Amino acid sequence: MSACDDFRQTTEAERRRWLTRRQVLARGVGAGLAVYAAQAMPFARILEAAQAQAQAAPNAPVLVSVFLPGGLDLLSALPPLGHYGRYADLRGGVKVEAPPPLGATGLGIHPALTEGVNGGVKGLHDAGKVGWLPGIDYANPDLSHFHSRHFWETGLITHADAPGWLGRWLDRHGSADNPLQGLSVSHGLSPVMRSGRAPVAAVSSPNDARMWVRDVWGPAYDRAIDTWGRIASASPGAPGPSSAYTAARLAKEVGDRLAPYRREKGRDPLAPAVEYPDDNELGGRLSRMAALIAQPLGIRVATVEAGGDFDTHDNQPDDLARDLAEVSRALAAFQADLEARGIADRVLTLVWSEFGRRPEANDSRGTDHGAGGIAWVQGTRARAGVHSDYPSLTSFDRDDNLRVTVDFRSVYASLLESWMGTGADEVIPSSKAFRRLALVA
Amino acid sequence: MKRRRPRPAPRRRTTGPWTEAHVHRLFWRAGFGARPDEAAEWAKRGRAATLRWVLEGGPQGAALVGPAPSADGKPLDPVNEWAHDGLWWLDRMVRSQRPLVEKMTLFWHDHFATNDQDTPLMLRQNRTLRRHALGSFPKLLRALTLDPAMQLFLSLPNSDKDAPNENFARELMELFTLGVGYTERDIREAARALTGFRARWTDDGFGGIYYDRERHDRGFKRIFGQRGRFDWRDVLRLVVDHPRHAPFLTTKLWEFFVAGPPSRATVRRLSAVYRASGHRIEPVVAEILDHPALYRSLDAPDMVKSPIVFVAGSLRTNGLPVSAQSLTWLLDGMGQRPFDPPSVAGWDWGPAWMSSNSMRTRFDWGNRLIEDDLLGVKTGSTQPPASPAEALEQALAATGRPWISGVTRSHLLEMATRFFDDLGPRTRPQRRSERADMLQRSLRLILLAGPDAQLH
Repeated sequence: MSACDDFRQTTEAERRRWLTRRQVLARGVGAGLAVYAAQAMPFARILEAAQAQAQAAPNAPVLVSVFLPGGLDLLSALPPLGHYGRYADLRGGVKVEAPPPLGATGLGIHPALTEGVNGGVKGLHDAGKVGWLPGIDYANPDLSHFHSRHFWETGLITHADAPGWLGRWLDRHGSADNPLQGLSVSHGLSPVMRSGRAPVAAVSSPNDARMWVRDVWGPAYDRAIDTWGRIASASPGAPGPSSAYTAARLAKEVGDRLAPYRREKGRDPLAPAVEYPDDNELGGRLSRMAALIAQPLGIRVATVEAGGDFDTHDNQPDDLARDLAEVSRALAAFQADLEARGIADRVLTLVWSEFGRRPEANDSRGTDHGAGGIAWVQGTRARAGVHSDYPSLTSFDRDDNLRVTVDFRSVYASLLESWMGTGADEVIPSSKAFRRLALVA
Repeated sequence: MKRRRPRPAPRRRTTGPWTEAHVHRLFWRAGFGARPDEAAEWAKRGRAATLRWVLEGGPQGAALVGPAPSADGKPLDPVNEWAHDGLWWLDRMVRSQRPLVEKMTLFWHDHFATNDQDTPLMLRQNRTLRRHALGSFPKLLRALTLDPAMQLFLSLPNSDKDAPNENFARELMELFTLGVGYTERDIREAARALTGFRARWTDDGFGGIYYDRERHDRGFKRIFGQRGRFDWRDVLRLVVDHPRHAPFLTTKLWEFFVAGPPSRATVRRLSAVYRASGHRIEPVVAEILDHPALYRSLDAPDMVKSPIVFVAGSLRTNGLPVSAQSLTWLLDGMGQRPFDPPSVAGWDWGPAWMSSNSMRTRFDWGNRLIEDDLLGVKTGSTQPPASPAEALEQALAATGRPWISGVTRSHLLEMATRFFDDLGPRTRPQRRSERADMLQRSLRLILLAGPDAQLH
């Protein structure tokens, strides 16, 4: 029995998991900002620290991580035009018809990736703002979503619990008192951002992080929230009670802090600088992210997850076209937004998925979990081009999967050094083992 | 060489009066809280009778008592409807007359954490955990080793003599039975001994686990210094007989019920009880529930309620049923959705539950509870209170009398005192009444979801 069969078994459960998150977001339940601080700290200091950090380095580079959950199919995202016949044999009815060529790369691009402002992701490529990484994965790929995702999130091939790779970077290089330096635009904190010591934050909806009391308003509301704050200011000694009162205090202070960003009387302080696509979850999150990065909050690393499901075991042509179009529209708008705000030169975006898919289509108009996926780096400072070898369509690995041509830790190490300007070894152990790529122009 | 163990300490029991505060503490730690009338009743009946009911149940057995659950008006369908599995279990926590069994089922769900498997398999595992919740640990361990959800989760059917998969063997020692006291070699050898399981796959998906002797490694293995042609039964026996097992498990049980680690004497005592009983769980839990440490600082609860305990407890202590799908999203936001532990290591308990985000979601749950058809008030239904104390008393009575600290009480009384300050003498009675409604809502929200409500 192959590992893939095993995980087909879990596909439905996986889907439910994603559905959960989407529904949570859609409902706006628990909207707000999470501060995961290892140590309690006076909240006023957090805010001062955020301002201080932002002012001390107003042009500090920001790294954005965009996760496409499920395992994006390389062969559909960038069909190999030079070997289209072989590709069509492998994929049959699942193949992408007449993909537009991607410049002189010898590759095509999924038509859905032309959707969006300025020609979508293809438009970004044409403008020299995309560096492609076909065949990305790691040696001896594990085809479990859970395992592979964990490796990508932590930058470590381990089943042990560990902080995320960006969280570990903050542990080393972040501030000790600015949770906004590491921002997940999501309901909960991305595992990529989980840190050991450094405070980091999750914001799903900065516009409504303010605390509320059902059917209470005006002076009564003020009195109630003030009382909440007074009660929460108790500082009992025992760890359990202390954690409860601290969290209650932070919840209030964070609500207060984000109050200026409240949407009021039709005015939205976090309104995007460009038009974003309607009904696009990823676009909505990226729009808030761009708006928050533009504030003096000291954001250095930020994460977001796409709303689609790239685990295309069946009905791949339709599902993938729909989900890739959402991604393309969202990413194109995000890039335009950053440029319109004048902050594009300090924001680089890494788009990734936990693995690729098998070269041969399955019997249900889909593809099963495979190796050799696709990631890309985009931004005005991204070095354009195809930075890894496209995997062979005739010579597969021993499990009949695409051969891995670049390790994702090569990308992490290269970005840490050339974009964040710090050593890679502190975050990626033995990073020497991974060749460096020129990803930044 | 036989290891000499220090003589175990004598049993320590609670002494002195048995009050409502004792009952509240016991019912929260061993279950999901007590209604005020239950606390009064069991305080009257005394310590021994209360502990007997908690541990053994009463004439109703594990009956579910109280209004039936629903999800937005529909009956629960745990197998087929998304998230109804979690609501179904939550309902048991809210209504079961054996709350300790549900609490221990939750303990084992965390201990043998499994996720991402099909709902019927997860529900089957849940029944297994419940059946063995207070029984024999070796039987529980055997049942979980053979459990399909667990097997699939930890790759046991993918493990054969040619390529033993160490996933289950490692977690068996690290998380399920020992914590420490084994080597990488023990894991590798145990993985060999655990080979032979296979999963049957049909066109309809998973068709069960079976044992294939051809896939089992029948060679000699060396585990914990012992040599033999061990198979999976031998491995389970070896880990339970390992000297680290009893301290590991009894310490974990203690920390589930009591804040702070057990003393070494307590661990020795609990381990001796556990071994003498033939590795039964109930006698250990019985000792812990009767231990003076459980009743420490009755006027200042010192453990954080897990999200599931917080939500189930607020329903149970107020006699409210599980009634909305949104509970699932709220629990997700608080960080503990039933059937979805983050990894095989389970959840991080204690202070780790608390972040400003999780608190904000618990606050949202409070806002849900003060809807006017639940524990809130309808607009125009409240008379301005004769005194701040009366307003607080009314709110306490409406919310199951949750614990609050003396300091919190004084802040709430202060709030009630000043709540009408900005209303002039000529304010219309209707406006005063509306303000009184808002005072009740504010008081009730803080009682149900403030920092004090997070503790038990």
